[in-house]
Amino acid sequence: MKFHWFNLMPWPHLPDDFRETNRSVWVDVDSRLYDPVEGHRVYHEYLDQLEYAATLGFDGIGVNEHHQNAYGMMPSPQLMAATLSRRTKDVTLLLLGQSIALYNPPTRVAEEMAMLDVMSGGRLVAGFPVGTSMDDNFCFGANPATLRDKYQENHDFILRAWADPDVFAWNGKYNKARYVNIWPRPIQKPHPPIWIPGGGSVETWDFCADNAYNYSYLSFNGYVRGEALMQGFWNRLGELGVEFNPFQGAFAQQIIVAETDDQAQQLYEEHVQYFFDKCLHVHPGFADAPGYRTENTIRVGLRAGGAQGLGIAHTLTWDDWVREGYIVAGSPDSVTEQLETLANKLQVGHLVCLLHCGNMPDDKARASTKLMAEQVIPRIRHIWEDYEDHWSPQPISADRQATPQPVGASN
Amino acid sequence: MADLQSITLSPTGQTAHLYEAGDGPPLLLLHPITGIPRWGELHETLSQRFRVIAPYQPGWGPAKDDLPDVDNNLDLVLFNVDLIQTLGVERAHVAGISIGAWIGAELAAIRPDVVQSLTLVNPLGIWSEQHPGEDPFAQHPGWPTAVLFSDPEHRARLLMEGRDQLDAYVEELLDLRASAKFLWPLPDTGVEKRLQRIDCRALVVTSRNDNVVNLAMGDIWRAGIPGAQQRELAESGHLADLEAPAELAQLIQEFALQGATA
Repeated sequence: MKFHWFNLMPWPHLPDDFRETNRSVWVDVDSRLYDPVEGHRVYHEYLDQLEYAATLGFDGIGVNEHHQNAYGMMPSPQLMAATLSRRTKDVTLLLLGQSIALYNPPTRVAEEMAMLDVMSGGRLVAGFPVGTSMDDNFCFGANPATLRDKYQENHDFILRAWADPDVFAWNGKYNKARYVNIWPRPIQKPHPPIWIPGGGSVETWDFCADNAYNYSYLSFNGYVRGEALMQGFWNRLGELGVEFNPFQGAFAQQIIVAETDDQAQQLYEEHVQYFFDKCLHVHPGFADAPGYRTENTIRVGLRAGGAQGLGIAHTLTWDDWVREGYIVAGSPDSVTEQLETLANKLQVGHLVCLLHCGNMPDDKARASTKLMAEQVIPRIRHIWEDYEDHWSPQPISADRQATPQPVGASN
Repeated sequence: MADLQSITLSPTGQTAHLYEAGDGPPLLLLHPITGIPRWGELHETLSQRFRVIAPYQPGWGPAKDDLPDVDNNLDLVLFNVDLIQTLGVERAHVAGISIGAWIGAELAAIRPDVVQSLTLVNPLGIWSEQHPGEDPFAQHPGWPTAVLFSDPEHRARLLMEGRDQLDAYVEELLDLRASAKFLWPLPDTGVEKRLQRIDCRALVVTSRNDNVVNLAMGDIWRAGIPGAQQRELAESGHLADLEAPAELAQLIQEFALQGATA
């Protein structure tokens, strides 16, 4: 099993009455709550944590894209991955991901991801989400009625821009360019591994099956609720004749490790509460622009009983969160046991570990991360060892990797 | 009463889904964001005086799968021109509600020869920063069109009642999707600069309790259309076809037939 350290980069200073005084943490959240000078400190703290996780042996460190969002302060995942590429080595840069339908033409996406792959020596995972309705439709004004069609075209564009060595003309419905010929080109051939973050759209499963992409279920509802959906994915792959390989699946999970179960609650409960109470406080009207979901996905969702767990997590207690899998938390033994259950239920080879949560301070994030790396991962890394991972990067050999020189060093 | 029917349009071979009933001068009735939930009181009343032609626009209701066929105002105008001509109608009175008013205005501006008179009810299609109105696409997914009514409770009775609830809900979402294709992220269709081309008699109607199209928008539309008149519905939200069918039918009828010699 492989483990990726991920930080959503939330703003840690939302007021106590945020829920009462703001209708949404996303899209129209009050910008006056943000302090850029404090933001400077927070960015570096979060980037330091990612680099710290890399030193502890996590397989990957992850960044993502959100807009106008107080729980996700990475409008550009490329900027974050670029800075991480300099001071880390041998760790996957999990860019999970870029909402590729937002860019016209997507030349810039192809270029920047190629840049990252070159800068990092071939360590990039390219995540291609459709993106959330909040980001795509409401913040960027992308038309929900054509979003998925455009996503498909932009995907095809980027793949060709990476792979076709010749200059080509692109005459699409959403992009027209007479000369496409990106520089630089990615190190990994034919392209970096592609992961598709999804939230339950059935069409996405077929897309992953057809293209042999990794399907990453990024939910904040945890592994208990995630089981049905991941099983749906695996079943669909089986129907389509795709051989099972756990590394074709990834799952994001909030995880907290402390010395004891009690300590986990004592030290971390307030930060989990902050996350569920404030960070997931999204105006329902922004969650699902008309056309964002396909008719098929709407009908499947209605048959399954509507939006599962949407917005109820903040009303639950610590014990509920753990029992219902919203969080995996406790002592190293407890967390090991819960993650074994997770692996067993979801059958995923890649675990995106959300080890920072809400307004968790740096020392607590690092302590939990260290326990995870030293006392949990070694006991569960063997899971799925009989399978070959085709969805991790293939970096260049160590002897060919450039090492950034210390500032001021003479050559 | 009229049954839903399908006809093949000339010259495209496209299928159109429509209701048609009544004798008298032809009236092309263009539906709002929410499509045509049923042959309703507005249709029935108007069919006493007109030959009512009420098509689903491509993308709405039974034409939900045709949305990829229409990208812009011109595609919609041509669909409606093809429709009336296939039905043997050279010129029609046109009344449009909500997004249908935009389509009607485009039709009258681009093909003035086919429009006898034009009634625009709670028209969407012009954006005003001063009068943005509620965002019809940022509503709670549990009751996505409630904002279109003067009282959100009216949705259950006027839009959903008498229909399979699941199918009606899915259709509601898909109708909104079709509307979003043309009105996302805000209703700036560019029609404002074409309004001056409209040369038929025109009436702009706004509704006092419309949350989406502010009353003041009526002034903007009227000012753009040469010689246009303006009226107000006192007891209706955005969906005047459902909330004030009798009053609206009377307005349309009186205006369209005003001064008519035949």
